[in-house]
Amino acid sequence: MSRFPFDTLLVANRGEIALRIIRTARRLGLRTVLVSHADDAGSPASAAADQVMAIAGRTGVAAYLDADQIIAAAQRSGACAIHPGYGFLSENAAFARAVAAAGMAFVGPTPDAIDLMGDKVRARAFVAQHGFPVAPSAIEDDDPATFVERAHALGAPLLVKPSAGGGGKGMRIVRDMTLLAREIAQARSEGERYFGDGRLYVERFIEQPRHIEVQVLGDASGTVVHLGERECSVQRRFQKIVEETPSPALSPAQRAQICETAAGIARAAGYRNAGTVEFIFDNGAFYFLEMNTRLQVEHPVTEMVTGIDLVEAQLRVAAGEPLGFAQDDVQACGHAIELRLYAESPSRGFTPTTGRVLALRLPEGDGVRVDVGIARGQRITTAFDPMLAKLIVHGADRTDAITRARQALADFALLGCETNAGFLDRLMGDPDFATAAVHTGWIDAHPDLAAEPDLDPRTRLALAAVAALSTRAVRDAADAVPRLHASIGGWRN
Amino acid sequence: MRHAFTIGGTDIEVWLARDGTGHRLSGDAGTARVDLVPAGDGAYTLFVDGLSQPVLLAIDGEDLHIHIAGRTHGLRHLDPTRRFADAGSVGGGDVARAPMPGTVVRVDVAAGQAVVIGDALVVIESMKLETTIRAWHDGVVTSVHVAQGQSFDRDASLVTVTAGG
Repeated sequence: MSRFPFDTLLVANRGEIALRIIRTARRLGLRTVLVSHADDAGSPASAAADQVMAIAGRTGVAAYLDADQIIAAAQRSGACAIHPGYGFLSENAAFARAVAAAGMAFVGPTPDAIDLMGDKVRARAFVAQHGFPVAPSAIEDDDPATFVERAHALGAPLLVKPSAGGGGKGMRIVRDMTLLAREIAQARSEGERYFGDGRLYVERFIEQPRHIEVQVLGDASGTVVHLGERECSVQRRFQKIVEETPSPALSPAQRAQICETAAGIARAAGYRNAGTVEFIFDNGAFYFLEMNTRLQVEHPVTEMVTGIDLVEAQLRVAAGEPLGFAQDDVQACGHAIELRLYAESPSRGFTPTTGRVLALRLPEGDGVRVDVGIARGQRITTAFDPMLAKLIVHGADRTDAITRARQALADFALLGCETNAGFLDRLMGDPDFATAAVHTGWIDAHPDLAAEPDLDPRTRLALAAVAALSTRAVRDAADAVPRLHASIGGWRN
Repeated sequence: MRHAFTIGGTDIEVWLARDGTGHRLSGDAGTARVDLVPAGDGAYTLFVDGLSQPVLLAIDGEDLHIHIAGRTHGLRHLDPTRRFADAGSVGGGDVARAPMPGTVVRVDVAAGQAVVIGDALVVIESMKLETTIRAWHDGVVTSVHVAQGQSFDRDASLVTVTAGG
């Protein structure tokens, strides 16, 4: 008999994270139900689940966002709990409420915590109110008469943002303070044009910041622990590509401070289940950026160094159990790096690629974990996020982890769709990455990293040889003895 | 006959000749005694002048996907007859091709319709961004290759606009 008050878990997600959740749930003796759109037929997650419930939608994404349909599927399948994974409905407070109203457990935080952290201005105010650091700022609404004066006092460089803004529209960076008044006037007119609201706020602009985040876990009794930090500064267009723990940028004192701050924010919010507090880190100073109220894509690096299964912790908390360990019980060992494998072409501006998985070979060995959402024969389309798999490595130290990451990349082969694997290897071999001299704008500032390097003559010769020998028309022209290629066989051309 | 492959964006001509039990490769990539021995399930051993290395290979029509020395490479076999046809064709500039994979949001023209520079032809969505593909010269729409809601791969033909008309 299961120790859980529920015995069936519905996974409301797809791809690698669905499979990863199913694995832990099965290990804990839970029956697993997966909702799946037709576009995901043949996925490894649907093969691993005990039951698959079809969901439909105008698009695949629409199906996974259809809360009513998913809750109905959960009820039909007898599920008592729903794990939302990341993305899709994972940070939707209305969904969390609807799951509870339907008598099921939502594997995540309370709807109120999702609401609080989902409103970025409210979250920022909440964090500041409790005495935790946010980027120095001036909000026009606080006192419109002194706004420009207060903005001036913050010092350059500044970021001027429309209060009603989003998506970077109307944002202006001010480096020369003599231009501040003019930039404020222009930002106001853009805010009026884009959002029908000219109110502004100004915050200190951090040049070349690092992105450091802290994993927290809380239970229903109010216990909150942190599981250390992750550094995710290697990004392209605000999307993380490489994550690692521990952060090579932090001193032990800074690490203790940032991790305690994260746990303090979670405690102040009465946070339950798994969450991540994100910070901007700049020359020893750090500021709250936002809190993600769900499991993160990059959670495996934390699992590798702590040995704690975060999905198991999530399920136990959702079942009403206490965490079962205290802060002192959390010990991190070694260094872990995660590499995100995307179906994209770095040399063509990171645009998505498509194809079919004709062959798939995954790396194995000590300290290597692969979370994968694709299987041989599956089509890779632009219908979903382009992330195909995550390679996670664990080493004694950072240098050891980088060596393992490069070996794992060399052993990884996906034939049939271009990926960013070669680009990831160039990142791992870059001297700036070796010395951890990176920031969130690093990749954009080094377009050479994305460019496909020229083939060395040896590889060119080898590729030409394979191409010639495996193309029937070429061989036929050369072979005087037709029996030969028949005996070798397998030529499809 | 000479055969050509696109390797790393460059067209490379190769030819193969029997050489005892193996083959001799020559052409733009260099000259060597080569052999490719199957090892099962898409795996092969490649011999180049007696040195061996493992290879993973998958062929999909004209496309060859080759994993060698820790890297995956995409190659394309350029069919000799089609190469000749392409070289003699003047129609290449008349086809709007997809700059990246995506989905057709809307089709604004029909075959036979006259268009002038700047007219919207189709609206596509890629990477959550809508892009309008516009006529790049005056002419007549001779063919619409896609329909609303259809998804397409990079380089797919979208609309053919024949100049003049």
